[in-house]
Amino acid sequence: MGITSSFHVGPYEIFYPLKPSVSPVQQYGQHHLPGRLFVVEGIDGSGKSTQLSLLHKWLEARGYGVVFSEWNSSPLVKDTTKLGKKKKLLTPATFSLVHATDFADRTEHSILPFLKAGAIVLCDRYVYTAFARDAARGMDGDWVRDLYGFAVKPTAAFYFRVPLETAIGRLVGARDGFKYYEAGLDLGLTVDAEDSFRLFQGRILEEYEKMVPEFGLTVIDATMPVEAQQAQVRRIVQSHLDLAKELRIQP
Amino acid sequence: MRQTYGKQLPGMRLTDLPGKLIVIEGTDGAGRSTQINLLRPWLEELGHAVLDTGMTRSRLAGDGIRRAKQRNNLGRVTQSLFYATDFIDRLEKEIVPALRAGFIVLTDRYIYSLMARASVRGMDPSWIRSIFSVALKPDAVFYLRIGIEQLLPRVVFSRGFDYWESGMDLFPGQDIYEGFSSYQATLLAEFDRLAEEYKFEIVDASADAQAVCAHLQKKILEIVEPVRVEAPEAKLAGAYVESLTEKIFLNLMRASKEPEHRVANPFPLTPQTANIPLPRRNGSAF
Repeated sequence: MGITSSFHVGPYEIFYPLKPSVSPVQQYGQHHLPGRLFVVEGIDGSGKSTQLSLLHKWLEARGYGVVFSEWNSSPLVKDTTKLGKKKKLLTPATFSLVHATDFADRTEHSILPFLKAGAIVLCDRYVYTAFARDAARGMDGDWVRDLYGFAVKPTAAFYFRVPLETAIGRLVGARDGFKYYEAGLDLGLTVDAEDSFRLFQGRILEEYEKMVPEFGLTVIDATMPVEAQQAQVRRIVQSHLDLAKELRIQP
Repeated sequence: MRQTYGKQLPGMRLTDLPGKLIVIEGTDGAGRSTQINLLRPWLEELGHAVLDTGMTRSRLAGDGIRRAKQRNNLGRVTQSLFYATDFIDRLEKEIVPALRAGFIVLTDRYIYSLMARASVRGMDPSWIRSIFSVALKPDAVFYLRIGIEQLLPRVVFSRGFDYWESGMDLFPGQDIYEGFSSYQATLLAEFDRLAEEYKFEIVDASADAQAVCAHLQKKILEIVEPVRVEAPEAKLAGAYVESLTEKIFLNLMRASKEPEHRVANPFPLTPQTANIPLPRRNGSAF
C-alpha cells in the first residue's frame, strides 16, 4: 500500500485521505509518492516515542533514508505556540489552529518534500492527535478533519493502546508534574492537575478508540513488553517496504 | 441572534451581541485604513463606542506572522492557517466581547480577504470556507473597489511595493511591478467573485477619500441605532460613553431641570460647554 491521494487543497497535489469532506472538495485520482510515511499515536505514557525511536534505528541500520518529524516542532510557529501556552491565551479554537499551522509548516517543509524524494518519514504524533485532543476540547469533529484536509495519508498509523492508569503510573514515575494544556487544565474540569489529566486523557482515549475503525489505525497492545511491540511494528513496516527496495541508500 | 457561516465555536454564545460588525474590504491601496481613520472619530462623536481591528493585530499570532514573513520559507498552506489563527484569536478575544458590550466593530479586512489570498495561492476554496465557517456574519461589508489602473499609481507613489502584496511568493521570477500587477489583478477578480457570493456593498474607491467617506457614513447610518437622549431619565445607548458625549449629556441633564432652557436651547453655552464642538448631526441624536 502506497500513499494515496484523493483530494486537492494546495498548489501542488496534496492528499486528503482522511475523511470525505462535508464540502465538495475537488477529487483527484490515485497518486503515488515514492516515500513511505509511518506515524505513531497514543496518549502520553503509552510508549509510542520509545517504539518510534527503536524503529528509526532499525531502518537506519538497514540503510534506508529516514527523516523524523515531531508534533509541535515547526521553527516557524514554535514561538507563537509557546507564547499562547505560557500566557494561557489559547482557547480550544486557537489551540487547534496553532497546531494545524505547525503541522502545515512541517507538511510543506519536512514531510512532503522528503516523501517526494523517496525517504521514509517517521512522525511522532500526527493528525489523529489533533482530532482526539480538539474533540476532547469540544471542537466540531468535521471542522477539525476539514482543517487537516491537506495532510498526507500515512502508509501505516500505529495506535499504542494503553489503559489510562498504566499511562499515569509511567508518567508519575518519569516526570515531575503534569503540564497545563496536556492535563486539559484550560477546560477547568477540576483544579487538581492529576485529576484533570485523568479526565482529559480519558476523553482522548475515547476519541482514539472511535478513530481506530474510522481511519484503520493499526492497534498495538502497549501493555506488552517493549520488545514484543517492536517486533510487531517492524514486521508491519517491513511488509510496506518489500516493494520499496529503491529506498535503500547505496553504500 | 447572530449567525455564523455554518459552524459555532465552543463557548461562543451567539445571543446578546447587540453591537454592529462593519467590515471594510478591498485590495491593498484601496484606502481601507484611511476610511477607518475617518469613520472612527465620526462614530465616536455620534456617541458610539468603536473597536477597530485588522489583520495580524492579534496578541497570539501577530508577531509570529510578521516574523514568518521576514523569512523565505513561509509555505502557502501554513500562511493561510497562520492568518486563520490570527483571525480566530481576534474574533474570540476582541470582536465578540466588543459586540457583546454594544460596540461598533470596524474591521479592516475580514475572512473575505483571507479567502481571496488563499484562493489566489491555489488553495481549495471549499477548504478555506470550511475553516471560516465559524466566523460571524457581519452587519455590512463595504468593498472599496478600485481598478488596477488607479491602484498602481497610488501604490507606486505612496508606500512602494510590498513583497507579499506583490505576490512575489507566487511569481518569484518577475520584477516586483509585474508581480504586483499580476497578483492584484488576480485578487481583484477573486474579490469581484466574492462580492457577488457574499453580497458586498460595492463602493467606488477611485473617488476622493472625503466623497467615499460621505457615502460610507450614509450607509452606516442605515445600520447603527442613533444615540438618543431621553429626558428626564436620560440614558445613552451603548456601553461606553465617550468623554465628549458625556459632557454634553451632563449638561443636557442640567438643562432638563430648567424648563426654559429645554424649550429654548438644549445646549446653553455655559463656560463648561462653550469650547466643546457640538455633534454635527443633531437631528435624530438629540
